[in-house]
Amino acid sequence: MPLSLGARWLEWLLCLSLLIQTLEYLRLLPALADDGYAPWHLQRADIPQAWIRRALDVLFTPAALRAQLLLRLVVLALVALQGSSLGLVLFLFISHLLVLIRWRGAFNGGSDFMTLVALSGLLIVHSVALVGNPTLGWRAGLWYVCLQSVTSYFVSGWVKLLQPQWRSGQAMPIFLDGAVYGPLPSGHLLRHSLLGRLGAWAFIVWECCFPLALWHPLAAWAFCAVALVFHFLVFWFFGLNRFFWAWLVSFPAILACSAQGIF
Amino acid sequence: MDDTPLLIYLAVLLGALVIQTPVISGPWFFLLRAFFPNWKFFHAVGHVPHLYVRFSANEANWSDWTHIYPREARRLRQLLHNPQTNLALTQQNLVEHLANDLNQLPDGRDARSLVSYALVAHWVQILGRTLAPQTTHCQFEVRMVLPGPDGPFEQDTMVVSPVMPCL
Repeated sequence: MPLSLGARWLEWLLCLSLLIQTLEYLRLLPALADDGYAPWHLQRADIPQAWIRRALDVLFTPAALRAQLLLRLVVLALVALQGSSLGLVLFLFISHLLVLIRWRGAFNGGSDFMTLVALSGLLIVHSVALVGNPTLGWRAGLWYVCLQSVTSYFVSGWVKLLQPQWRSGQAMPIFLDGAVYGPLPSGHLLRHSLLGRLGAWAFIVWECCFPLALWHPLAAWAFCAVALVFHFLVFWFFGLNRFFWAWLVSFPAILACSAQGIF
Repeated sequence: MDDTPLLIYLAVLLGALVIQTPVISGPWFFLLRAFFPNWKFFHAVGHVPHLYVRFSANEANWSDWTHIYPREARRLRQLLHNPQTNLALTQQNLVEHLANDLNQLPDGRDARSLVSYALVAHWVQILGRTLAPQTTHCQFEVRMVLPGPDGPFEQDTMVVSPVMPCL
C-alpha cells in the first residue's frame, strides 16, 4: 500500500472509530449526570490540584461535555472529507484525553489507548510537517502507529506464552466464562481440552509472530487479515466492539510501512 | 533488504519484557494511563472482584445478595453501537479499581475516603431504583473470586459496606 493511500485510509478509519465512540459517549451522558452512575462531584476528588479541578468543573458540566462531543462530530466530518490538519487533530487529541479523564483514565481500556496512539501518530505527522517536509511527517507518524500496533500483538502473545494456564488451554474457557456474553455453553468445542489448547496456541503463536508482518507486504496483508477475524471474535465473545475499530485504524499503517521497505 | 533495524526493534522489545522496572503510581499516572499502555490483555487467570448488593424496605427484611456482573445479550449490530455493554464493562472496571485501592490502602485509613469506594457506594445507592424500586436501604460487599474451569475455586469477602440509604 503506497504511503499516501495508507495515510488517507488511516484518517478515514480513525474517523469511523471515533464516530462510533462519540455516539456511544453521547448516549451515555446520563450516566455522568449528578443522579447517574459516575457523578463529577464525587469523581473530582481524583484531581489533586484545586485549580485543575475548578477548570474541569467547567469543562465537565453536562452542557459543556455534550457541546464538546457534538463539536467532535463536526471535526470528524471535516477530517473525513478534507483530510487532517494540525488544528483538527489537536482538538481530537485534547477532546479524547478530556473524555478519558472524565471516565477515570479509560472508558474501554485498550481501545482508548490505541485510539490515543493513532491520534498521537497524526500529531507527529503534522508537527514534523510543520518544521520539515510532509512526506517525512507521514512516514514518522505511520511508523509510530505501526510499531505500537505490532508491539501490542507481540506483547499480548508473549505474556500469554509465559502463563501455564494459557499453554495448557485452560485459560481461554475461563476467560470466556467470565465474558459479557458468557458463560460458554457446557458443550462448546473450546471446552474440549485438545481444541482449547489448539485455539490458545494458535492465538499465542500468531500474536508472537506478528512482527514478521514487517518483513514483506504480503505477510502484512496476511497478518492483518487474521487480525480482522481475531478482533471480530473478541467482539463476538467479549463484546469489545471498540477494540475491533481501534485496531483496524492501525492496519493501513502496518500495510504502508511494510511496503516502504525501510527494513 | 537489511533486517538489522527489525532485529534491534525485537531485541529492545524483548528486553523491555524481561527487565523488571519499578511500578510508578500517582493520581495523574492513573488518569493518564492511556499514555503508558502495557498491551497485556487477558494474560493471567487470577482473583476477580465481584460486587454483591442487597436491599431492604425497612432495614429488617433484607433481600438475598445479588451479583452485579456484566452480562448482555449478543447482537451483531453491537459491533457498531454498544453503549450499554461498554458501560457495564466500565462498571466492572470500577469494582476492580476499588479492590486494587483496598489492597493498597495504608493501615488506619478509612476505605470510605477512596474515590473508587465513593463511586461504587453511589452506584449501589442508585441501583435500587431499577433492581428494587420499593426499598429504602442498601448494602454492598466485594468478594474476590478465583475462577476455575468448572466454576469458582474459592471466594473471600474483601469488604462489606455499612447500610446506606437508597437514592
